[in-house]
Amino acid sequence: MTKRRYERPVITKHHSGFMNKFGNSPVSVPKTEIDGVAVKKLTEEYGSPLFVISEKQIRQNYKNLFRIFRSRYPKIQMTWSYKTNYLNAVCSVFHNEGAWAEVVSAFEYDRARKLGIRGENIIFNGPDKDENALIRAIEEKAKIHIDHFDELYQIIELAEKMGKQAQVAIRVNMDVGIYPKWDRFGFNYENGEATEALRRIAINKNLKLIGLHTHIGTYMMSTEAYRTGASKLVHLANLLKSQFGLVLDYIDMGGGLPSYNTLKGQYLQAEELLPTLEQYADAITAPFFELNYSSDEMPTLFLENGRVLIDDAGFLITQVLANKRLSDGKRAIIIDGGVNILFTSFWYKHKISPAQQTSVHTENAAIYGPLCMNIDCIREDIVLPTLKKGDQLVVHHVGAYNVTQWMQFITLRPNVVMVMEDGSVELIRKSEDLDYIMSLESIPAKLQTGVK
Amino acid sequence: MKLLFESIVFSYSQIFFSNRKWLGIILFAGTMLNPVIGAAGLIGVALSNLFALYLKFDKEKVRSGFYGFNGLLTGAAFAFYFELTPFLVLVGFLFVFISFFLAAALENYLAAAFNLPGLSLPFVFTLYIFLIFSTNFEQIAYLYKEGFAIGFEQYLPDSISLLFRSISVIYLQPGVLPGIIFFIGILFFSRVMAVNIVIGYTLNYLLITYAFSSYSPELMLLSSFNAILTAIALGGSLIIVSRKSFLLVAIASVMVAIFTGFFYKLLMPYFLPVLVLPFNSIVLATLYSLKFRQEQSDLVLLYFPPGSPEENLYYHTNRVSRFEKFKQIFPELPFYGEWFISQGFFGGYTHKDDWSYAWDFIIKNESGKEFEDEGNYKADYYCYDTPVVSALEGDVVRVIDNITDNKIGENNLKYNWGNSVVLNHGHGLYSSMSHLKSGSIKVAEGDHIKRGQVIANCGNSGRSPYPHLHFQFQLTDKLGDKTYKFPFSSYMQKDGEKFILKSFEFPPENVTVANIELHKTLKKALNFRLGDEFEFECNLGEISFREKWEVKVDIMNNLFIESDSNCRAYIYMTDKIFYISSYIGSRSSALYFFYLLAIRVPLGYHEKLEWHDPIPARHATSSFIRYLSEPFLFLGEQIRSEIRLYFEERINSDDDFVIDGELSTRGKMLFSGFSEKGNGKMVISNEGEIKSLEFELGKKYFNCNLIIDEEKSE
Repeated sequence: MTKRRYERPVITKHHSGFMNKFGNSPVSVPKTEIDGVAVKKLTEEYGSPLFVISEKQIRQNYKNLFRIFRSRYPKIQMTWSYKTNYLNAVCSVFHNEGAWAEVVSAFEYDRARKLGIRGENIIFNGPDKDENALIRAIEEKAKIHIDHFDELYQIIELAEKMGKQAQVAIRVNMDVGIYPKWDRFGFNYENGEATEALRRIAINKNLKLIGLHTHIGTYMMSTEAYRTGASKLVHLANLLKSQFGLVLDYIDMGGGLPSYNTLKGQYLQAEELLPTLEQYADAITAPFFELNYSSDEMPTLFLENGRVLIDDAGFLITQVLANKRLSDGKRAIIIDGGVNILFTSFWYKHKISPAQQTSVHTENAAIYGPLCMNIDCIREDIVLPTLKKGDQLVVHHVGAYNVTQWMQFITLRPNVVMVMEDGSVELIRKSEDLDYIMSLESIPAKLQTGVK
Repeated sequence: MKLLFESIVFSYSQIFFSNRKWLGIILFAGTMLNPVIGAAGLIGVALSNLFALYLKFDKEKVRSGFYGFNGLLTGAAFAFYFELTPFLVLVGFLFVFISFFLAAALENYLAAAFNLPGLSLPFVFTLYIFLIFSTNFEQIAYLYKEGFAIGFEQYLPDSISLLFRSISVIYLQPGVLPGIIFFIGILFFSRVMAVNIVIGYTLNYLLITYAFSSYSPELMLLSSFNAILTAIALGGSLIIVSRKSFLLVAIASVMVAIFTGFFYKLLMPYFLPVLVLPFNSIVLATLYSLKFRQEQSDLVLLYFPPGSPEENLYYHTNRVSRFEKFKQIFPELPFYGEWFISQGFFGGYTHKDDWSYAWDFIIKNESGKEFEDEGNYKADYYCYDTPVVSALEGDVVRVIDNITDNKIGENNLKYNWGNSVVLNHGHGLYSSMSHLKSGSIKVAEGDHIKRGQVIANCGNSGRSPYPHLHFQFQLTDKLGDKTYKFPFSSYMQKDGEKFILKSFEFPPENVTVANIELHKTLKKALNFRLGDEFEFECNLGEISFREKWEVKVDIMNNLFIESDSNCRAYIYMTDKIFYISSYIGSRSSALYFFYLLAIRVPLGYHEKLEWHDPIPARHATSSFIRYLSEPFLFLGEQIRSEIRLYFEERINSDDDFVIDGELSTRGKMLFSGFSEKGNGKMVISNEGEIKSLEFELGKKYFNCNLIIDEEKSE
């Protein structure tokens, strides 16, 4: 029999009598293993903190979203949003499931090409595509989504010079009834810029208009915004067909679907607040049936989802460094993972579970990271069991945007491992070491003397 | 000239229901063993065919020997029965014309009115007319040359000698030698026919020798050769060979002995010979009576231009296995994506009695669950609120859209069918979709809708404890009418990780199915239009050659590809599937390998999609074993071939479409040790052209590449 775990005593306010507004006392369910692999074992081998990505969960998410759309519209093509998480192993799982690549910079474009994705299967978005990248994209028949007139002029010029036809679509922004309006990317629908851009492309023989694109926003909580967006694109497509006889290959509805991470401003849990994926899919696909296309011509629906496919496949394992009590009596827990690696804690109230069995007694606490910075706060308020130094915590839903937006600050970025479908564990990004960081730097000769 | 030559040769082979030139030549050579009779026969054929061509009868029919073989028999009969005098030769010419007109009238009448072959009736009537007419003249000497002997009889036992003499008599030849030559020719042409001849003859022989022993030698000969002809006709040439046809031959050859005796006595007072009357009457009566059966699934009468009995069987079994359920309209599954059939035909819940032929569809996720969480709410179900589409083009004839959806687990037995739409697809076919979501119906009565158009959303109304789509075909516009068994024209059925392409089948319970998504490129590649031409650079083993294809159409409006080597592949396309329905020609042309690899092609690409099609054994293997197996064909096909085709995975959107094929041939029963394999691939370019074909079969390696005419393509 193992020795029972010691927990320091806590004082909890007792509510008795009638049912009260606080509901049941919160219970935190420990997360002791990820896809069958013990958290303890993972950190013993790969250290702490540690990002863990579940291959099984990614594939399940992909299949689930694909099924939901595929049962509502016949032609679906998923494209993996690189910026969400462009670790090679992660991209490979998506490509393996059938997703194309959606990139927003020359850097990401090159990454996709290095992974063996051909130009035709890359969607090139974003306001900054430098000349070399555009030349390469035109050459390799990538699907270029034009963001502004200056880019359009540049592509016209380049394509003419190269004697090639560029495969293009335009990004359209529109009022879909949400605040703030996302009108900084692409051509506006209401002020006529979109139709003007389309007209210019349609009459240019060096450009082939193959699609329309919109991305109405991120973490969209309203399905109706999508319905409006899709309707407006469908309207443009109908216009193109009737005016120019142009039949599009695809309509790209972008991404923006939320994951079940609760935003900082939200009172209710995301699960209770958000529409279901089916409702989003209904809203996105329904306007497509208003197209004046014949059944053979129906365009493919492209989706650029990132967050919703990867967020819950990522976990961050951290360790308690210390407990302390704040001036107002509130408990604070210091862990070894800070905002430098958990960038999303700036906008999410991440769900955090202990990684070991605990008693039912809980206490309100703040969780701080290890950085010597006041902003390094992971959760301001969270109800957790009492924890000791060395206890482990698992941060949930961290698959999106963390391993792309993290920064190297006063410590080194940790290992990232993937738990494979068969239960084996693979290191997919090695932790940095000092030599690697310093190898990028150089010291001017006269400063190489050390402390005098 | 070529046409005349072919028509003559085919007239000879036509008597054995054959379409082989070489057999015609052997048979002709056999008749020339007795030069007078042979020449008379040749004149008869040539005159008939010339006459037919001069009068502008259908050239193809003349070529096939349809009008010639009665002339052949009539000509030969004159030389066989009579001393040839100048007067008789003159009259003989005239009677060839009579036989021709009788043939043209009778053969065509029987074909048009009863869909029966005229056989040799015109010949019989011509000769009777002459015999009765000839009694006006005393100088015509009736000569029966049974005594003629050209060697060999003495070396053979009576029973064997009679067999070959009987075969000789078919072409009005005396003696055994022509019979032996004819028989050898037949053996090369068809093992089945040879077996039938021996069986028919033997049974007849046993009967007339031991039971009807008072039959004269003349009667025995008559009975024997009629038995042989009857056995040929019923044992594989006009009826597809099978166990039952074998039994039919046995019975018929006994009947021949009886009818020969009957006709002999009947015609004796008029001094008329029996000739082929027993054969004609028995075969015609049998064929005609068989047409009135309720089910024609066995003892199948020939419904296509005859080949050898082997070819007939191969063609028929291939056709049955590939096209038995084929329909001229092409319904597809009424939804998008992959759905699971929770209740199929004769299902355990409600698909019973009059409502047996219906499907209940639901959606399951990758781990086999049909709902999220506990499934306590309608919206937890993956299929709930997904679009339901029209299976076929049609008119909306009935819409019910005011029944509230049930809570999970509840049934609305008052309105069993719930919210429903009934569509009229024309041709007397209706489809009905039920348990739709309340308020989701997007069409109104009277609307005309296209296939694939969204009708409503899947719901949970009526007798539906959990959300599902009930789909059925029916024959009226009545809601909840009894179901009608009608197949879906194309769909994919999940089998483990793979998808199997199905066409005109009834998806069974507990499988996952999905529609094929049309791919423009594949459709472009296989959309052959009249007049299209292609040329290929080919290599077969060491030999290099060029082969041209042209798309043509025949008189029945069937589209086919013809190669310049005279091979033909008949093609057909439904909305989603390209078929090669049959192939005629050599096994060394590019078209042959195209036939193997494109016997059925879905016009949409899907990863891990594969399909299986039977190939007639004679198209799949040249092995000697096949010939050995053919005498046993009445037991069913002894050697079967199947090709398994599948798409190679396409990684990029501009990759070529590669279809791999694995041909396997396997023997059954006696020949179970035999097996052969071959494999090949067809590449369809991203531009929608059949770029190349490749096949390795036995020791042969074939490949060919499309020659792209640069000027034309620009």
